[in-house]
Order: sequence, then structure tokens, then C-alpha cells
Amino acid sequence: MPETAPAGGEVVPMSSGHGQPLAPRLSICWSRGNSLRVSLFSLASFEDEAGGEVVEVKLCDGGDGEISNAQWRTIAYDSVSPFAMLQNRRNSMSSFSNINPSPYHLECWEYMMDYSKDINVLLGNKKSSVDSLIEDPDIFLKKTEEPTCLKAAWELMEMFYVNKLSQAWLPERIVDWLADYDRLFAALHGTVHMKVMNFQNVHNDIEVYEDDLRYWDVIESALAVGWLEIAVKMLRRHGSYQLDQLSNRETENGLVEAVALLISKMPRMRSELEPGRLGECYKAKPDFIKAWDKWRGQITKLDSCAFWIQCHHGQTREGLKKLLQILLGNTNSLLAATTNWLELCVSHLIYIRPFTVGLESMYNLAQNCIQLKPMSSPHKLMNIIIGILGENTEVVLAECSKEFGPWMVAHAIELLTVGSNEAESLLHEERYNLGEISLEELHRLAYAQVLSSHALTWQIAPVYLSSCMKHGMGLLEILLYKQPVQLKELLLKNLEICRLYDLDDCSSNIMKMAGVYHWKHGRKGSGIYWLQQARDEFRLNKIAQQLFASVGKSISDESFKQWEGLIGLLDSESNAAGGFEFLHKYRDFKRSLQQIGDGKNDIAAQKAIDSLMLLMRNTSTPQRFWLPLLNDSLKLLNWQHRPLLSVSNTNLLLNKLQELSSARLHPGFVKPDLPAEALNSVRLALATNLGRAILEE
Amino acid sequence: MDCKTYKSVLKLDKGTACTAWNYCGQRLAAGTVDGTLAVFDSTDHASSSFRCSSRVKVHKAGILKVVWVPPEYGDAVACIFYDGGFSIWEEAGEDSHSVQWKLCEFFNRGSSKVLDIQFGVSPTSLKMVSTYSDGYIQVYELSNPLELKNWQLQAEFQNVIDSISTFRKASCLSASISWNPMRGGQELSFIMGFNSDTPQLNSSKVWEFDGAHQRWLPVAELALPEERGDRVYSAAWAPNIGRPYELIAVATERGIAIWHIGLNPDLDGRLPMERVALLSGHEGEVWQMEWDMSGMTLATTGSDGVVRFWQSNSNGVWQGQATFVHTS
Repeated sequence: MPETAPAGGEVVPMSSGHGQPLAPRLSICWSRGNSLRVSLFSLASFEDEAGGEVVEVKLCDGGDGEISNAQWRTIAYDSVSPFAMLQNRRNSMSSFSNINPSPYHLECWEYMMDYSKDINVLLGNKKSSVDSLIEDPDIFLKKTEEPTCLKAAWELMEMFYVNKLSQAWLPERIVDWLADYDRLFAALHGTVHMKVMNFQNVHNDIEVYEDDLRYWDVIESALAVGWLEIAVKMLRRHGSYQLDQLSNRETENGLVEAVALLISKMPRMRSELEPGRLGECYKAKPDFIKAWDKWRGQITKLDSCAFWIQCHHGQTREGLKKLLQILLGNTNSLLAATTNWLELCVSHLIYIRPFTVGLESMYNLAQNCIQLKPMSSPHKLMNIIIGILGENTEVVLAECSKEFGPWMVAHAIELLTVGSNEAESLLHEERYNLGEISLEELHRLAYAQVLSSHALTWQIAPVYLSSCMKHGMGLLEILLYKQPVQLKELLLKNLEICRLYDLDDCSSNIMKMAGVYHWKHGRKGSGIYWLQQARDEFRLNKIAQQLFASVGKSISDESFKQWEGLIGLLDSESNAAGGFEFLHKYRDFKRSLQQIGDGKNDIAAQKAIDSLMLLMRNTSTPQRFWLPLLNDSLKLLNWQHRPLLSVSNTNLLLNKLQELSSARLHPGFVKPDLPAEALNSVRLALATNLGRAILEE
Repeated sequence: MDCKTYKSVLKLDKGTACTAWNYCGQRLAAGTVDGTLAVFDSTDHASSSFRCSSRVKVHKAGILKVVWVPPEYGDAVACIFYDGGFSIWEEAGEDSHSVQWKLCEFFNRGSSKVLDIQFGVSPTSLKMVSTYSDGYIQVYELSNPLELKNWQLQAEFQNVIDSISTFRKASCLSASISWNPMRGGQELSFIMGFNSDTPQLNSSKVWEFDGAHQRWLPVAELALPEERGDRVYSAAWAPNIGRPYELIAVATERGIAIWHIGLNPDLDGRLPMERVALLSGHEGEVWQMEWDMSGMTLATTGSDGVVRFWQSNSNGVWQGQATFVHTS
């Protein structure tokens, strides 16, 4: 190691002396948003080839990789408009509701539902695998794309928090939900879905279904969780349906068909039943109760009928009897037929407590089921369900945050507050410890930070920040300051955002940064342009002074061209220093000098001499430029055709020369960068001109 | 929770001792032990691949620390050297072809070594605070916003509340400065703490510029009375996007203290303050603390080679949120 950290350095030698590094091994710096860049130094041996590296670390933002980064970005983009729409509608409603709150209440439910549905759609299409419209007799469950836990969780919240219109049908909605998402629980625990799939994979090898215990087992399970279509379809694969068997097994077949028929006629309390779905739909409770009692009566009747004795196939008899027990809501049968507490819970909702409404009773039911089917590591969706049923908003939020990350929390908070005063006060109460913002705002800020950390998503962060009443604009300003200014498109985008949110100071600071960047990097025109846009008079004045200084050196035509444009840019209207005026006059003078060309154009020469006089008379023309100006005009002073300067003008210029000579004695005099004989040449030319002018006049 | 999602961004030159990212995270300045400054640029705004755009030998001694100058003043860095001096280098050119890194100014304060430098931006000027091994703080002001070579010494003082005492023989190992990161309106202020053998100098003090009298005043001392002599290893002032108080982290041997500082001074000119947490978790000293852009997460690292992330929960309780340990 050629260098060691000295005592004066930032590095403190370690007290324990066993080979600890003397320099910091790490250095950290936040990038935009929630990503941290960590420099890892390997100073242990300088001869070492490796020089260390920089890694980017992201604070874990939830999710278990179920959804890829690209998918998250798509979700992020697609959810902007539902979110913004919701905020708009809410804002316009709150301005109305001051006058008359009640009529808009229903509207509030409606737009929450619109929002929830919009978000739900962008989380993927619902493809239920428990689909009745399966033509292939060998397929009981369609192999569809794996649904995501994210969508499952969203639908749960929609179901419990937003969709208040169908609260009476909640049990059936839960049944549907489980049918869609049961397979998600397969990784941790067995599921009915897995059972059916396993059977489907082997069933072609089974010669006589009804002899196989697995057959009955799967039907029981499917029936227990309410997958009536699958249960019936499988029942009809029973051997007694085969034409050659029908005559021998008439009674047996009759019993199978009777059970299948009872299953298909099961009353269900729900708003509608999609075509192909089995059961009979009742919207109102009294109708349902009547039908339910009747249906139950039919089952009891069948259960106790005499035909069972004539059924000679033992497995069929046993199997069908078990199915009837499930239909009758026998707790032990349900317990045996389901694989986890959630399925058990659903089976109870279907067969034992179809009228369960209210979160409290559902919560109690869930707790009972958990006791009956405990599990060591519950699935994340189960935790959310328990949180919802237990009316524990904090748990739901924490689970959403832990399992699905900031996107979920920022968007789901909208659902949690619908119609719940308790959740409302929890999420909207401003907390001193959070810097006087609410939990809702905190989570929006956190999500905006995540968006900010990626070049492709930072542009949508402002939508969320603008919904944060207290800290949103502060964070937005910082975010905008952290965008690179050297790229024009990005800069314009940045300024557009500033304009949209009235961030004038931020906008001018950004333009200032851009101006300085371009000025320093040799693009002087862009530099001046952006500094002017920023109205940065301070820097513009300094630039004018700098130009002044370069004018002092008698400039070649080449460099004149270069800064002639700059003077044009330094618009004389926004002129703060007299300097600009001088620069403009000087430019005019230089231009007319160039137009003289070969020395024969009298008119151009006269124009140039007029410009010179304007400059020399002007008090804002700094003294140090007098001699360079006159030196540049030597050609004019020695004009061949006629003297261009009048006697009085010549005298004025001679006086200026005199003034210059005495100024040379002052300590602050700036010596122009001119040949030594310049002064004499000018003096001689002026004297000659004076003589000629006197003669002429 | 361990922080596992990470990816490699770039490889550093061998002998690299320090790095600093610019305001937008698109440029990295890296200093080596042989005095070379390497600058890495992102090849494309949307991607995160970087290549070295410049390597300049800036000094005979090694570079201990690199600090970027705020972007309103160009693309420039201050390099602190092992030999105790520091210099300011800037990327500039008369036209776009001649752009290169150039020395603007070299600072050397004789026998006392510079320990830390930080820049503060006010609406009208750029200020630079430098601290030295003899316990002194200097505040410079840039006279021409377009020239990084003309610095005027505006003030020189020691990190003590009572301005009468001076400590001539202080020996400081390290110092930590952190400006109040917010732009605009308010008076400039920064926090300053020392790791020295002189207890009075150590504790972190908030210094505020008194524009009316053109002087710097200590307005708060961030240490409990019995802990005032504790050596300060690091201090970090959080961005304030709207809180009714400022948030400052100070690391001493006792751990990382989180302070709430009131925005308005009381009658005797001091800012009300409260220590809301004392966090422990790092083994050994905490060398660096960085607040994220919202001031909600504090990242820290130190001699144990671990990066820790700290956040306050919704009840205001600060706790470790995640850790990152690099395993190559």
C-alpha cells in the first residue's frame, strides 16, 4: 500500500489491531428515489487487480418476485389514470358536498367501484380455472395461466370494502373468489385445486372410477368448496352411466343421478349465476330460505330412502352417502374434505351458515376453522383475510406493504377508507411524528419515491405527489432538481412539470443549472439563453463583464463572429448593466469596419467613423477600450480620399488620448494588450487627420 | 430484513479511496490513493451503465474525499488530499471540443489539515465550509458565480457555543459538516461536529448565518448535557419537505442520535430541540450517514462494513429497517 491514511484524515484507526482496513471500505450515496449506491473499495492491497465496484441497492419494496419489474412498470403506468380520475372526482365532490352532502354519497360508492374495477382490470384478466363450459370430458379443471396473489388480494379488498351493494351475497362471493384463487395456496399447503389437478393427470389410467377411492375423495373435496360443476361432471363419469352397464346397475345409477341432480339444483343466494354454472339462484333471503329448506328436505329424504339397500356397489354407496353428508353440512365431512382453514371456512359458508353476514361473525368462523386446521406459516392472502375480517386496518395495511409493496398500499388505501370512520381517522389523521402528515400521504410519498427511482417511471410520480397536500410539492421539487439538465428533452419535460404545478422558483433554478452547464461546456449561446429564461441577471452581468474583457484585446474577425451572436442574445431590453449597450455599439462598429472592405467605400467608412464617435462619446464605454478602439480604426483615421473626422471630433479623440496618458500613471490602470507603438500610431494618425480636416474646412 | 436486490453499476479503478455522485446520479467522481481523479459518466439517461470519461492526476498526494460543487455552479468537485490541502477542479471549455477538467483553486492552510468541506447554496451565493485539524472552521464565499477561483474568506471560528474561548492546541481526527439541504428563503445553516481530543469542540452545533450582522451564530447544540464531550463521527441534516421541525442525525460512540429541531428560536435565540431516538446496531464507528430525498430513510455505514437503513414507524419510533452486507 503506497499511501496510508494519516492521522489528519477522516479515517480513524481501529482500536483492535487485527488487520482492519485503514480507509473506509464503503461509501454510500442515495440515487433518486429509494435506491442507494454503495461504493465498495478494496484497498487491502494496492497490487490487487480489482479496484472495487459500485453497486446499487434497493430497499426491499415488497413482493416476492411474483411480478417482474417490467410488469410492475406497466401496472404503475396503467394505474395513473384511475388514480387521477378518482382524486378528481373526489375533489369535485368535496366542493359540492359542502352544500348538500347526502345526494352524492351513493355517487361516492359508484366511483370507488369504478376505480377498484379499473385497477382490477389492469392487474390481469380473470381466468377462472373452475369453468363449467369445458367441452372436453376428460378435463375437469382448465389449465390456465397462474393468477397472481396481487390480483387476489385486490379482489378481496374490493369485495369487503367497496362492493357494498352485494354484501348480502358475500358468502357466495367468497366461494367464487376461492374458486379463482385456490391454486395460489398450493405452494404452502395442499389445496382442493391440487387434488383435482392430480386426479385429472392420472384419471385416464383408472379403469373403473367408482372403485377408486381417489375418485370419491376428489368429488367430495370439490363439492365441499362449492365447485358444483366439477362434482357433477365427475359423478357422471361413474361406470353405471355406461350403456352396457345401465341395465344391471339401474338403481345404482339412479342414486348417482339423484345426487348429481340435487347438487345441480342447490339453491344459491347470489345476484346472478353465469350461464353454465349449476345451482339455482335466489336474490332475496326469504325465497332462498324456502328453496333451501325444500332442497334440504329432498336430501334428507334421499338419504333415508330404501334404494340404498339395493345399491350393491359398496364404494358408490359410501361415496354418495358422504356427498350427502357434505350437502347436509356435516362438520366432520367438511373437515375431512377440505385441506386448509380457508377452504373449510368456505365450506361452512356454503353448507352450514349461508346467511353469515357481518365481519364479526365471519371472523369468528375463520378463527374456529383455524383452530380446526391450524397451519404453522399462513399464506399472505390468509393474513390479509384475517386482517379484513378482524376489522384491523393496520394489519391489512402492514400485510399489503410487506407482501406487495408501496404500489399496493398507495392504491389500496383508497379502498380501506370507504365508509369506515375508524379507518378514515386512522389513515387521514395528521401525525406530528410523521411530520404532520397522514398515513395516507406517507404511503403516497413512499410510492412516489419508488417511482422516482427509475428513469422510466419518475414522470408519473408528480401525479401522486400532487395528491399529497402537505409534503408533495416539497418532494416534487427535490425530484425535479435531481433530473439531469444537459439533455434537452428531459429539461423541457422537467420545466413542463414545473409549469403544471406552479413551481416557478424550481423552474428558474433548473434553467439556471442548465444555463451554467452549457456556458461552462462551451455552448455559450445556449448558456445565455437559459440564464435569460431563468432571469438570472446576476450571472448575465458577469457574462457581460467577461465579454467586455475579451473585447479589450483587439479581437480577430474569427473570434468576433463567435461572440457577435452572444451579444445579440444579451438582449438590450433586459439590459441591467451599461455594459450591454456598449457591447451592442461595439458590434455595430465592428460590423461597419468589416463592410469597408478594400478601403474605397466612402459611405461605409463614414458609417464606421460615426459608430466610433458614438462609442467614444458614450460614458459607458470603459476607458480601457479607448485605445483598442482607436487602434482598430487606424484605417479610418488614415482614409485616403478625404479626412473622415471633423476638426471637433478629432480634437475630442486627441483629448481622450491625453486622458489615457495621464490615466497610465494611476495604479488601477489596465494596460491594453496592444503593440507598444499603437499609441504613437494613433496619435500620428489623429494629428494627420486634424491637419487635413483643418485644410478641408 | 436483508436488502438483497442489488446490482453492480460500475467497476472502480484500483487504488480508489473515495467516490462521490453528482446531483442527478449520472456522474461519479472517484479519487485514488495516487492522486488521480476519475470521472465516470452514464452512457444513457435511461440505463445505468457507466464509462470513464476522464482521468486526471490532480495532486501528488492521494485523494481522501471528493465533494461535488452544487450544479448551479458548474460541473466541479473539491478534492481533499491526504497531505492536508484541497483543491477545486472544474470541467469546462471555451467551446465544446476543448472541455476538460481544470484546476480552479488550491487551498493549503499550512500545518493544519483540512478534514471536511461542504458547499451550501443560498439564492445569491455559494458558500463553502471547510474544517481543519486544529479545530477551526472557515466559511468562504464565491465572489463570481461563474468563476470557481475567487473565494473570499468570510469567517473563521471554532465549533464552540461560547465564542470567547479558543482552543489553540486542539487535535482533530475527523470532522463532519452537513448543510441544511433546503434551498430558498431561509438563512443558511449547517451542522458541525468534531472527533477531537478537545471535548468542547466535539458536540454538534447548528450554525446559522445572521445576515443582519454578517456573522455565524451557534443556535443549537445537539447533545445531552452529559454527552457534550462525545466525539462526533458523522452528522447529517435531512431534507425537509414540509415537516414542522428539522431532522438531524448525529453519530457518536453511543450510537446514532436522531434529533428534532424546532424551526423558530426561543427568546434567547436558541432553537428548541429534542432527541427522539438513539439507535444502535453498527459495530464500531459510523463513518457516513445519508438521508434519502424525502428525509424518511437514513442510510448509515461505518467500520463494520454494513449498510443499515433506518425509518420511523407511524408512531414515531425509529428502527432498523434493513441491512445490506456485500458478499463478493
